[in-house]
Parts: sequence; C-alpha cells; structure tokens
Amino acid sequence: MNAKTTISVLTLAASLSVPLLAQIDFTGEWAPAYHEDGPERLPGPELGDYMGIPINDNARQQADSYDADRISVVTEYQCRPHSSDYGMRGLGDLRVTREMNPATQELVAFHTYMPAWGSERTIWMDGHPHPGLYAPHTWQGFSTGVWDGNMLVVTTTHLKANYLRRNGVASSDKRTVTEYWTRHRNYLTVVEYVDDPVMLTEPLVRSQNWTLDPGQETHPALCEYVPEVPHESGAVPNHLPGTNPFLHEVANWYGIPYEATRGGAKTIYPEYKPTMSKPDNPPPAHCERFCVCSVLLDCNLHGGALGGALPPNPQK
Amino acid sequence: MKRSSAKRQMGLCMLWLCSSGLLLEQAPLAAQPPAGVRSPLLPGPLPTPRPGKAAAPVDFTGYWVSPVMEDWRWRMVTPLKGDFASVPITAEAYRVGQAWDPAKDEASGLQCKSYGAPAIMRVPGRLHITWLDDNTLKIETDAGKQTRFFHFDGQAPADEPPTWQGYSAANWERPVRGEGDPRNDFPPIFSNRTGTRGKSLEVATTHLRAGYLRKNGVPYSENTTLEEFYDYHKAPNNDEWFTVTTVVHDPKYLNVPFITSTDFKKQTGATGWNPTPCTAR
Repeated sequence: MNAKTTISVLTLAASLSVPLLAQIDFTGEWAPAYHEDGPERLPGPELGDYMGIPINDNARQQADSYDADRISVVTEYQCRPHSSDYGMRGLGDLRVTREMNPATQELVAFHTYMPAWGSERTIWMDGHPHPGLYAPHTWQGFSTGVWDGNMLVVTTTHLKANYLRRNGVASSDKRTVTEYWTRHRNYLTVVEYVDDPVMLTEPLVRSQNWTLDPGQETHPALCEYVPEVPHESGAVPNHLPGTNPFLHEVANWYGIPYEATRGGAKTIYPEYKPTMSKPDNPPPAHCERFCVCSVLLDCNLHGGALGGALPPNPQK
Repeated sequence: MKRSSAKRQMGLCMLWLCSSGLLLEQAPLAAQPPAGVRSPLLPGPLPTPRPGKAAAPVDFTGYWVSPVMEDWRWRMVTPLKGDFASVPITAEAYRVGQAWDPAKDEASGLQCKSYGAPAIMRVPGRLHITWLDDNTLKIETDAGKQTRFFHFDGQAPADEPPTWQGYSAANWERPVRGEGDPRNDFPPIFSNRTGTRGKSLEVATTHLRAGYLRKNGVPYSENTTLEEFYDYHKAPNNDEWFTVTTVVHDPKYLNVPFITSTDFKKQTGATGWNPTPCTAR
C-alpha cells in the first residue's frame, strides 16, 4: 500500500466513521408517569388552586376571573392546544425522533409529538438562531438545544400566551422556557424552568418523568368545535373581581388554609409551613375527591377504582 | 492482482467496521471487560478507579433548599386520610393506608415513618451535603434530622440491619465505554462520545425499614428498593440546581415503580437551616 493509497484509505475511513454528535439518544415512545400532581394533570385542577406557583398579584387576579364555562362557550378555546411548556407537564404521551444530516451524520433536530391536539415541536440542534423579537409566536414556540455533557439543555422562546395550570393561571407570551433533559436507563426526566416576567415573581421550576414504552401507539388528534351550552354571541364567561363563588372550595375540600391556596413565592419555601394558619373550616375526616389517581381511568371523583380492585371509599 | 485487490478491499472493510464502531460497539455489555481491565482490542490497562470524591464531576456539597412547586397539597400539609392520589398503589396498600393511625405511630415511637429514604427528598426542607470521607457523601436533612450516607466503595455488609435510610451504594454515571477509554477522545477515526461522559450521580438503596411514602400513611414495605439519579444544572440566571429522579420499587404496595423528580436550589449559606424532629401528623 503506497502513501497515496494509505491517505485515501484513512480519508475514506474518516468519512465513513460516524461523529455521533447526538450524544444521548432520546428517541422513542415515552409513557408519562403521573406520579406527581396526578389529579391536576389528569382530570384537571380544582378551581382556585394556585398552590405551588409563584404568581404575582396580577396573575392571581386574572386567575380569579376564570370561569370554566369559557372552554365550552368560546369556540376559539375549544380546540386550543397546550403550549409546549404546559404540554410537557399536562397530558403527555411523548414520541421523540431525530433528524440527521445525511451527509455529515450530525444531529439537525429532535422532533417531539404529543397526541394531545397533535402537538409537534422541533428542537433545533444545528445552531439555528432564535427569530427576531417580532417574529410570530406559536403554541410550540421556537426551541433550540445544546449539550451539557449527558444533559440536553433546550431554550424555547416565541410562545403564545397560554396557562401554567389549566384553571386560569395564565402564562404570558413574554416567557422563556429552559428545559433540562436527562435519560437514565429507560427513564426520561425533563426539568422545566419557566421565566415569565409578566405572571411570576420568580421562575417556576417543575420536573416530569417518562418511561420508555416501545409498544406505545399514539393516535391522531381529533377535536371538533361543538356548541356545548347555549350562549349569547361573543360572550366570554368570567367572574368580575370579588364575585367568584368557587375560590374557597379547594381549601374546604382538602383542609387547607385559604391563604395557602392563593399561591405566591412565599408559600413555596419550607419556612412557610410552620407559619401556615389553620384551615378556615374543619377539614374532612377522610379524602373525598380523586383519592386514587395515577392513571386517568382510576381518577374517579368519589373513591378510587384501580380497575375495580379497590373497595369503595369508606366514607361514601 | 485479483488477490491483492480482494485483500485491500477486506482491509478497507475491516478498517471501516472498526472506525464506525461496528466491531467494537456491538459487543453486549456482559461480554465487555470489567472496570479496570483493558479490552483485548486495545493496549494497556485502564486507569484504576478513583475514590468517589476525587472522581466527582459535579460538586453537590453545600446547602440546598427545595422550593415546593409540585405536589404542594401532599407535601406542605399532611394529606387527608385515604388520599393516595398520584401513587400507583395496590389494593393491599389501599387497605393498609386506610388504617393509618398517627397516634398509634407516636405511641410506638414511629414518628419517622414518613422520613425514610423513599420519601425524604419530597419532604419540604433543606439539605446539607458534605463529604464524610473520600468515598462517602453525607446528606443531612433539617426536616426530621435524618442522615443519608452514599457509599462509593462497596456493597452493604451481610449483616446490615434495615433502617429508615437504608444502605446506599453510589457511583458516578460512567460513559458506556468506561472512564479513560481513549476512544472517548479519538475522533474522527472513532465516534465522538462526549455526551455520554457521565455527570450524574447514581444511587441504589436497599436494607430499608418499612415506612410511608407520604405522611398520611401511604405504605412502602421492607422489601422496597430505591434507584436515584442526581443531575446538576445551572439556570439561566446562574442559580445552581439539582434534580433527583427517584424510582421506588415495591412489589407489595406498588403496581409499577413510583417515579418522582424533586428540584433543589443551592444556597450561599445555611440560611433557613432549621433542624426539627420527625412528626407523625
């Protein structure tokens, strides 16, 4: 083998070798674990539950005006998808695929699909710059990712205003979401860091988990606009300040001081615990709502189901 | 000429197989040499594994606080009796949980049943993390005044008794090809694997005493084992955080592994550190 041939061979070998810049493979079908905040993420949050969210006064006032009839009456809200940040916390069967540059075998992007409203997101890994200030905002926003060792750090901007909890706790279109993706064995953990200067006094940090589920089959998203309740044209159900009659329910149902249900940064730190006042009303002796709820079929309002394996709630 | 060409092609093919990793990477893990032993395909021994402290790719030491932005209703207050929401319990766990009696636990001196390793990281409070020695990471909690030891140098002794915190074996997540493998840093002939360079702390805990996953008596049994993965990250505002993904395995009281992840923010000092004893209510 002469020098020319050797160089050719090494060149060929180098070109055939695979510079695996996709360092951790997140691809696959992922099944969510609803082992945190199950009742909020599966059947949906209680009205007036702002617990654990560092909202400011304006966000609280806006949330207090929320009327759940809004999603029945306002057609534009009926098929409104989750934004990508809420989608990761809310209902989230997840598929991740990756797009490679066929010539260089470098990772161009991760693509995610969630069956709720057929939400598709692209996480650009090829150095895409974020669009300019006045570029359109979308439900999924514009996401770019970089590696930090075995962690994928994703930054999302250009999100439409949506919600931090789907009971009226709003998010603004000024927010930036940073995610930290890690995979350990067949577990996927995504930490979300939501910085919303309009609605929050400090970033909202939550993390959620999936397990690899190769057999998962996602379905197409179907959503039809249907007039669900009679209403006047153009009506937007709401509660004016001081008139929402439902705000105390969550405190009474779960034996929690009303003040604590109002959220805010001071309520999320451990030192708040010993300063908490007593519940406004005597707490129930036993759980009465969504007492078993880690998968949707078990989340019955009264008592647990566990596929029929559990006895009825003794209080019922 | 023909033979020479065939040989050259075979050489090219072998070189491609090696360079693309097909020969080296497809060997099942079980067939790979143990840590510290060089693959027969590569010369020389691998470096001797370093002690946990010296090998630490991330500094977890310091004071950390857990802002409670998840599961607030089940963490910041004692949930109502019979509230098992989000926990994938079995029918037996449901039955046992309905019999929760905190007065009985107090009378029996079992106030710490909800402060065991499967639950402690979800208890609102602060952590103080230090190195006890070169191979033992120590985690103290102010809530319940518990102490966990993460051992980087071995397995639980045969006579290890069950305790609230159990025995925790720890290691830094290793690259798939092993620490010190020159292939990790030898592009482009070999694939670039920098992303698998471990930054995470993995912990496996056994020898647990039966306790509660939540303060209202959601049970875990004495056969419970625990997997944890600790990941450090820096927020855009330069705050330092770590997230621990906790996977609880309990064939008696859980239908599937119970998976949570809990986020901690680093403090500059001991502000707010407030050791308090376990309580049953």
